[in-house]
Amino acid sequence: MVTNQDIDTFIEQIPPTPKILQETMRIVNNGELSKAAKVAETDLALKSYLINLVNKPIYGFRKEVHEVGQIFGILGLPTTQQTIYNYMMNLLSPKKWELFDLNEKTFHELQAQLSFKWNKILEHLGIVDKEIESAISLLPASIIVSEALFSKVKEDVELLRSVNNLDYNTILERLCGVSLFDICDQIAKKWDMPAEISDIVYSSSGLYPAKDQKINMLAKWMHLLLFYELSQPMFVKASLNDFIDFQVEYIDDIYEEFSQVMEIA
Amino acid sequence: MRALLKNGIGLFSPQGFLDGNNTASFLNLEDIEATAELNADMILVSLKKVVFFNKNGLDVFVKLFSKVRHKKSITVGFCDVDHKKYLAITRFYENKINFSIFNTYNNATLFSNSFKNQNSNVLLYSEDKSQRTAMAIELHDFGHNPIVCQTKEEFTEKSANQSSYDNIIKDTYLGQMGENIATRVTGNAIIYTVSAFLDNEIGNTFNIAYHNNSLNVGFRLFIFDAYKVVSMNIHALNFFSKLATSAAEYNATICFVGLSGEKIQDTFQENMEDAGIVFYAQMDDILGNKELLKELGASSASNVKSKRALNKAIVGKLPDFIDATVATVEMMTNSKASKEAAEVSKIDIKETDGKIASSIGFYGDIDGMVILVFPKEIAKKACELLIGETTDDIEMILDTLAELVNIVGGKVKSLLSDHDVSVNITLPRTYHSIDDLLEVAQDKKGVQVDLVFDNEKFLFFLTR
Repeated sequence: MVTNQDIDTFIEQIPPTPKILQETMRIVNNGELSKAAKVAETDLALKSYLINLVNKPIYGFRKEVHEVGQIFGILGLPTTQQTIYNYMMNLLSPKKWELFDLNEKTFHELQAQLSFKWNKILEHLGIVDKEIESAISLLPASIIVSEALFSKVKEDVELLRSVNNLDYNTILERLCGVSLFDICDQIAKKWDMPAEISDIVYSSSGLYPAKDQKINMLAKWMHLLLFYELSQPMFVKASLNDFIDFQVEYIDDIYEEFSQVMEIA
Repeated sequence: MRALLKNGIGLFSPQGFLDGNNTASFLNLEDIEATAELNADMILVSLKKVVFFNKNGLDVFVKLFSKVRHKKSITVGFCDVDHKKYLAITRFYENKINFSIFNTYNNATLFSNSFKNQNSNVLLYSEDKSQRTAMAIELHDFGHNPIVCQTKEEFTEKSANQSSYDNIIKDTYLGQMGENIATRVTGNAIIYTVSAFLDNEIGNTFNIAYHNNSLNVGFRLFIFDAYKVVSMNIHALNFFSKLATSAAEYNATICFVGLSGEKIQDTFQENMEDAGIVFYAQMDDILGNKELLKELGASSASNVKSKRALNKAIVGKLPDFIDATVATVEMMTNSKASKEAAEVSKIDIKETDGKIASSIGFYGDIDGMVILVFPKEIAKKACELLIGETTDDIEMILDTLAELVNIVGGKVKSLLSDHDVSVNITLPRTYHSIDDLLEVAQDKKGVQVDLVFDNEKFLFFLTR
């Protein structure tokens, strides 16, 4: 169904970070947002992505924002880095989704909702750290990897799942000895993302708790946030709700706090 | 959302958060009806991986339960409900609960017609006395040994000794139970569960096409679980007598269990016995007696009524059958298959040692049977994906093999449907040894295709 060769081919096909993005990121890391905005302006696709993102209702701006410099200023340094990583992830997403009922717009929406709520969580936890803020941008890679590896065998997977309730991560692990989150880790390495980002996302599977208490705690919040988002009607309809297993016990100790932050009645 | 269908229970497993906005996205009437059509006698929504729900969320499910219950008379409800969730659900619906709640999926299976391991020691407690009684009666009817605790203290004390019981039931509520003729396979016997008063309606509710195809596939023992039957009239008597007569042409046996003399007139019983129907007091009188099982035909299938010939319609669809089989085994083993030879002949298995087999029947626009003969190593490998580990437990391998053959059947159904050929599939049958298989298939003519997976030979046989 899916072989290690398919995984290798997928990893080989991950494009390197475009030069403009590399340069933008380098300048962002130096804290020079206005200079970074000038470089980012030259990438029209990035510019369009940023305008689209920041004008979503969740950001709550009354007037439409058009200038990249203005956008970077509004987002601030950590969120700008997070947004550029989101854009890179977007480059990896398929033009046409087949396994999941997603499209460019709904995938953007997922990214935006995850990022916005992740920032809210970090604010609640009192964490100001651009690497940790950016970690959420790697999480949807697990969805992209599932789409890439399983879309061609969609019917087989459906038949398999009709007799045994296996999630994509388990199927992949049993077939190839590699998890979706191992592949996310490889993407992070290929894109020179900081190790902390992939460590949090790896543990956020809920299956491989991190030894580092802080990373493990953040991974729990991320795991619960993912399923909070995947319970939204749009993503349930997209067949995303059960693409990986929700580890209820893993998040048990933070659930009450989470429900307060998200104002769940 | 698709249900996992196992042993007659359709299980939906939403994850995360359930509220009025999203519940309809998880499940709709078509999802439930499609599951009910697959001979499910119980449809449950597992709340195991639901971390939050409110009444608006559950209302959508409850309304769906009510609709499907009205149409299909099957058991519906929630399972995998811890104490907190149980209290919440019972508080939401108070005295208007017309669905069932089970604290675990395993405990729900105790109330299913398809549950295989009967005679379980079940400790149970409910604060509601009428529920305690209802559960005890149902469990007893299903062949289990209920141990009812009258007080919470008694339950706490007894449940501390978990190893003394096969199952412990708490936080469970029985709504209306199913009334359908459920079908299950135990070993190689097919068990039909009938209930209430049997009259001419039995002709409508009994799936005769399914029964006939089970005969064609090689099942030779059919047991009617009639513990819950109140009585029957002459129309039902005629129906069963005809069924027994046609079964005799296949050398098959029809038995009734739990239909004591108080339920039917002596003359009815005599007539049924004359038609070849055998009566037993308890299910265990048959299933617990291997010699009797053999005598009744559960492991024998000789003297088949007729050796039906292959026809052009079925041979024309051979590529679909082979594609479905190869694709499924390739998917499960992650290895490539190659075809060695194909010929029309009687089944020819060169080496019978170390091999197991499975078969599945299909009926509709075309009918017949697919037989797959696996070297044990290929079967083990194919089952690893479903089990998640290597195992030498032959019963587990055969059970999983049945699931694999179910996938093949599902794929065949889907491929044929693409060519406008509509078929249904029977329950799969497994064979511990090739000798068992040959009793069913040795005289049948069919198309035999030898396939090779990882240097191991694998046999596909399509027959009628």
